Amino acid sequence: MKNWKIALTFGCVCCILTLAICIQFKTIDDTNSTVSQTLIGNELRDQVLKWKEKYDKATKELETSEQKLESIRLESTQNDENSIHKEEEIKLDNILLGLTDVTGDGIVITLKDNNNVKRSNIGPLDNIELYLVHAGDLVEVVNALRNAGAEAISINGQRITNYTAIYCAGNVVVINGEKISSPIEIKAIGSPELLYGSIMIPGGYLELLEETGVIVNVKKQENIKINKYDGIINTQYITSEE
Amino acid sequence: MIFIAIILGCVIGLVLGNFAPIISYTYSSYLAIAIVAALDSVFGGVASSLNKKFDMGIFISGFFGNAILAILLAYLGQRLNVDIYLVAIFVFVSRMFNNLAIIRRYYLDKFRKRKIKEAEMAENNTK
Repeated sequence: MKNWKIALTFGCVCCILTLAICIQFKTIDDTNSTVSQTLIGNELRDQVLKWKEKYDKATKELETSEQKLESIRLESTQNDENSIHKEEEIKLDNILLGLTDVTGDGIVITLKDNNNVKRSNIGPLDNIELYLVHAGDLVEVVNALRNAGAEAISINGQRITNYTAIYCAGNVVVINGEKISSPIEIKAIGSPELLYGSIMIPGGYLELLEETGVIVNVKKQENIKINKYDGIINTQYITSEE
Repeated sequence: MIFIAIILGCVIGLVLGNFAPIISYTYSSYLAIAIVAALDSVFGGVASSLNKKFDMGIFISGFFGNAILAILLAYLGQRLNVDIYLVAIFVFVSRMFNNLAIIRRYYLDKFRKRKIKEAEMAENNTK
């Protein structure tokens, strides 16, 4: 083997090696961390996935045990007048708290951002904010529905319970800790005529929304199904005063 | 001659590396292990060339083969959730130390021989 050939090989190999090292240095500098930290990152990701799995499993278990509890309660109250009464009370309480799926007649309101409006085709004095559905609009609509005697309300599948907050989080609205966005479908169970009439009242909030540019659609519907609140209600401070 | 070539190669690599693009962070761990494998091959090549046992085929195949094998092992380890790449690094680095020891001994021997020779020469001159 000639000496210069060996030298050339070494030169080429070292060139590749330093090139690779340079790329690696630049990459690591760019991400501002070290290689060994990927290991920690992987472990964290692993842990997150594992906890998620555990959480899902626990929620499933909770569901099955709730069903079991229900059946046991039914069994034990079958022959007792007093406890039948109690059982019915519990059921009613759960419906009122929003912990059971319910059906009934009512209305469905759909609110949509007006996507035809852009910065380019809007008037100089017009405000693009007015064409969007905001958290405040939802609060107004829910208030109007409650005032008209709605018995159960849900927004995009999120049940409105005693403990629900509706607030703005940038470009989405957060209800029950879940993000929702346009198009927004509000289902309400109650007297369809009363709800429809009160929500479509001239000068009412929906008319205002429609006037300012939000796309509004209201229709009466039979047998609306409203899902239960799928979170857990924890109380810590309240006790009954007796 | 070999060392001049190595230094020249490193300088060219550095210059090229300045203009090289960065890669995705996900692949950087694979590149890192490939670098360690390649570094091991280079030290092995230098050591064997000093011992006059250098073989071009073994060197080139070792350089690329070890790097690719290391990457594949690291990938396999990630899929199996076993840190196989740690073992690869362990093997490569321990071999690197071995080869460095060979190189060190070679030059130390050379240095000592020269000193003895010089001493002999000095002795001869004084006679």
